[in-house]
Amino acid sequence: MTKIELTVNGTRHAREVEDRTLLVDLLRDHLGLTGTHVGCDTSQCGCCTVHLDGRAVKSCTMLAAQADGASIVTIEGMAKGDKLHPVQQAFTDCHALQCGFCTPGMIMATAALLKDNPNPTDEEIYHGLEGNLCRCTGYINIVKAVKQAAQTMK
Amino acid sequence: MFQFNYLKAKSLADAAALAKANPDAKLMSGGMTLLPTLKQGLAQPSHLIDIGGLSELSGIEVKGNTLVIGAATRHYDVASSAVVRKAIPALAYLANQIGDPQVRNRGTLGGSVANNDPAADYPSAVLALNATIVTNQREIAADDFFQGMFATALEEGEIVVRIVFPLPKRAAYEKFPHPASGYAMAGVFIADTAAGVRVAVTGAGPGVFRWSDAEAALARGLKAGALDALHVDATDLNEDFHATREYRANLVQVMGKRALHKLLA
Amino acid sequence: MSEKHAANRREDLRLITGRGRYSSDNNLPGQLHASFLRCDCAHAEIVAIDTAPALKRPGVVAVFTGEDAIAAGYKNFPNLMTFTNKAGAGILQPERPVLAHGRVRFVGETVAMVVAESAAIAQDAVADIRVEYRDLPTVVDAEDALKPAAPLLHTSVPGNLTLEWDTGDAAAVAQAFKQAAHVTKLKVVSPRVVPSPMEPRAALISYEAASGCYDVYTNSQGIGMLRWQISALTGVPEDKLRLHLHDVGGSFGQRSAVYPEHGALMIASKKLGRPIKWVATRSECFLSDSHGRGIVMGGELALDRDGKFLAARYDFVVDMGAYLTTTGPASHVRNPAICTTGVYKIPALYANFRVALTNTAPIAAYRGAGRPDIAYVIERLVDQAACELKIDRAELRRRNFIPLDAFPYKTPTLGTYEASDFNGCLTKALKAADWDGFPQRREAARKRGKLRGIGLSTVIEGTAAGFQPKDQIAIEFDADGRLEVFTVALSQGQGHETTFAQIVADTLGIAAESVTLRQSVHGKNIVGNHTGGSRSLVGAGSVCKIAAQKLIEQARPLAAEALELEPSQVDYANGAYRSRDGAKSIDLLELAKQHAGASPHPLNLIAEASVAATFPNGCHIAEVEIDPETGVSEIAAYTACDDCGTVINHAIVEGQMHGGVAMGAGQVFGEQTVYDKSSGQLLSGSFSDYAMPRAGWVRDIHMNDHPLISKVNVLGAKGVGESGCTASLSTLVTAALDAVRPLGIEHLDMPLTASRMWQMIQQAQQPQQAKAK
Repeated sequence: MTKIELTVNGTRHAREVEDRTLLVDLLRDHLGLTGTHVGCDTSQCGCCTVHLDGRAVKSCTMLAAQADGASIVTIEGMAKGDKLHPVQQAFTDCHALQCGFCTPGMIMATAALLKDNPNPTDEEIYHGLEGNLCRCTGYINIVKAVKQAAQTMK
Repeated sequence: MFQFNYLKAKSLADAAALAKANPDAKLMSGGMTLLPTLKQGLAQPSHLIDIGGLSELSGIEVKGNTLVIGAATRHYDVASSAVVRKAIPALAYLANQIGDPQVRNRGTLGGSVANNDPAADYPSAVLALNATIVTNQREIAADDFFQGMFATALEEGEIVVRIVFPLPKRAAYEKFPHPASGYAMAGVFIADTAAGVRVAVTGAGPGVFRWSDAEAALARGLKAGALDALHVDATDLNEDFHATREYRANLVQVMGKRALHKLLA
Repeated sequence: MSEKHAANRREDLRLITGRGRYSSDNNLPGQLHASFLRCDCAHAEIVAIDTAPALKRPGVVAVFTGEDAIAAGYKNFPNLMTFTNKAGAGILQPERPVLAHGRVRFVGETVAMVVAESAAIAQDAVADIRVEYRDLPTVVDAEDALKPAAPLLHTSVPGNLTLEWDTGDAAAVAQAFKQAAHVTKLKVVSPRVVPSPMEPRAALISYEAASGCYDVYTNSQGIGMLRWQISALTGVPEDKLRLHLHDVGGSFGQRSAVYPEHGALMIASKKLGRPIKWVATRSECFLSDSHGRGIVMGGELALDRDGKFLAARYDFVVDMGAYLTTTGPASHVRNPAICTTGVYKIPALYANFRVALTNTAPIAAYRGAGRPDIAYVIERLVDQAACELKIDRAELRRRNFIPLDAFPYKTPTLGTYEASDFNGCLTKALKAADWDGFPQRREAARKRGKLRGIGLSTVIEGTAAGFQPKDQIAIEFDADGRLEVFTVALSQGQGHETTFAQIVADTLGIAAESVTLRQSVHGKNIVGNHTGGSRSLVGAGSVCKIAAQKLIEQARPLAAEALELEPSQVDYANGAYRSRDGAKSIDLLELAKQHAGASPHPLNLIAEASVAATFPNGCHIAEVEIDPETGVSEIAAYTACDDCGTVINHAIVEGQMHGGVAMGAGQVFGEQTVYDKSSGQLLSGSFSDYAMPRAGWVRDIHMNDHPLISKVNVLGAKGVGESGCTASLSTLVTAALDAVRPLGIEHLDMPLTASRMWQMIQQAQQPQQAKAK
């Protein structure tokens, strides 16, 4: 067992978990934050994307122990009260989600992409979303949403 | 994922001691390859020794005629470093082609090089740039370091500390990504160095290798079209349902041509 | 398409804030966790299973094997296939215990199930189980499986042939071929794909001894369909099955069938008296989710000297994997049989289907389910004929379209088409795609070193037929008088909450926010089709409108009473009943509120209808650029002109088209399901090996519409959930073929991976290079 302390969506948590516990399992099973999803086991799909100290990571490819002392933001921490994050708003405005399973990861990846590159070209958006799979939308509206979010965040 | 004990190394010396004390342990830096391997149940280490956060393994700086990068430097930090972009832009470019953004935010130079996946990007740069791998025990020349699929000169418990890249006159990398994994199906790194032109190929064979025909051709003249007439022997290249060895041989040539084009641009 | 309705869907808010409730999000107090041992050989006898080491592991509660599955006395998997062979015999349904017994028949089949205090312990213990297998010969290819000496999977299925069924007039077709001036023949493959909705399969099942009921939390395409299947499989009466279905992370047909894991978890929960939870890994999904497609199609087209089609003949070999799923055979035979004539007048038609078993994962419906496949072979035939006869592709189609005055058009096989304007769609699409300007674009590409081709398809599909004869919708008012609409359909991303509420609200003339849709709710005694086969809008959606109209009439007497008038003296408009002089009025929702608390509420109702199949159709045009150095194909342009009938929500219809075309692009250019021929191992068992479409594969779709309002349902809508897939396979492949035809390449088969394309180009160029020397 290993003791960890971390901040998730602004709240400090201390937990003792099995050493092999993945960050995503800590979030989902121990903290009840089920908005972060698990879509694969080879670190390809990006459904589990969260922000670790401000950068996008796949929480299924990281031990909870590695996040000791870190500050995590999950999809549940993106909106401020009733006010959606501009990326969330853009996703619903642009019909960039259908089943919604990949969506939390897509939104987290998009927010991180726009932080690095506030005005991405189409090619840069494709490159920035390489770590996220969607089976429903064909990505066309996701790319639109990234652009809309970039506009509103200017 | 089987059970293991997680150990966070406090220092390089601590990491070495932990590795020595636990012969079935594995060192972990970013964990981008190791954790998926463990999740698939393909390895069963007794311990994971986390060296990802060690300050002794961090840092990017130009020292004399070399660029020195700490082993635990993440791909994102190499890709976005103003120092790297100025010193060896091809290396920053390569780092930005690894995996995907989330992987680049966690994966490290040292982890990639020590793992020596035959389709990883970094080994091609390390080999072509004639870099030196500095470990906690010694210095190893790139030509001696890579020894085929997942095999390196590293001894048990030996830890990559930093990599010293001699600054090339110019360099370029071109990669054909695997359509699913994003690894290199073929990646060619050409470096115009003080010691001559070196060309390294990753992804196509059982491990990174120097493409001697290309080096010879470019030694005769580093100019457009120099690689056009080369025939890449497919015999020892990888083959799977994604790509025949002939196709990989072709990709080596095409990526080589494109890298050369970039290098000369 | 116009922006009649804003994109923002009712379901979006919870899904973008992480408050969706998917199957793996469910937990129950006291739950245990299951993990499955899946066999690692493709065909073998199980000689012995040693579960003792697993049972010794701390935290393991029980291990179940095929013996337990047999002891449970379950029946067999149900099948929707009703067609019979020439001798009148139905499909041969092989036995399939929920845990393998005696023999395993594909890599990934469930052999044992560990139940433990945590998922991690259960997974550890799976590795402790020792199984001794005696290997048997393996066959992974459907055509090979039908050969006389092929390894036999089931003694109950001679020759691995579960059904041979044909349709049409073989003699008339033979006669027409004799008289034909030209015959075009080809054989194409619609390769097997792994559907891969982003949410892995999962289930949480709890048995309640006092009532004998099972609570089932899982991902599904709708309550009635799954409940019927579980009941048929296990023998547990439907009224003892309480299904709890919430958000579903995509499906595409993959969740249309019941799975053995459902039955195994029921056995465990009953035996142990605790809820059992299981969440599949993606690796398990690749091995054991139902796969899609997997059809080899021979096609022949007979033409007269004017290029008029005289007859067509098809030979389908349908791969079903090692066992039959509920939906696989019916969808892969019925759906293509309905549309063997395509959009063309073909006087004589014949199709033969052989439904085969192989040592591979079972196949079920997958977006289009036979529709893209038949469209693909027809369009390939027409293109090939045009090429052979040197007739323009569009012109050959025009000569043979079913004319506008021929509808309703009864095809020589199963279909009766509703009115469609194929030439109208084609004409609009050609203009929108600037077909005539293509030579300049090809030339520009050539200068950049690229091979550019253009492809065109005019397709039709029979959708929304459903499997249930009717669809019901219940309207109920809750304790506060709020309007709730109940359906057995269940969105897996289609946006029912938005669209269905919109239909009810628009019909009633009230705000959409006043209507709440409840999907697949346990305890509602209504029937209907699950969400699949592009059915829900056409079926349940139509009944939403009928239900709303019924509500207006049902409430009229109460409104009249409230207004102290005769029912005939009140008019309904914009959500309110009014006296003729307009002096008195009452809102429908206010009226409902006045009766809130009454049990039952006097305005509660069930409406129903039998809604016939619809025939969406359209013309898609794509331009593909190929890099001859690497073989990489890129979609350079994509234009669609579709007849979707009435569009209820443009954003959602566009989204369905985008997704369908991207799935088609995935099958055409990337997705490869590869079983090793000798070992039967799945070589493409993860997202690291299976190339899913990514952002940028399909950059944009230039969408146009050319609707003819459907007359078979009150909405005028046509079911379009699968249209993008149906049109895109042939469009993209023929575009790629057009790009390389100048090199002398006459035939391509999916998937057009870079490696294969490069090899084709190499082979084509070698003789030319030899000649040049």
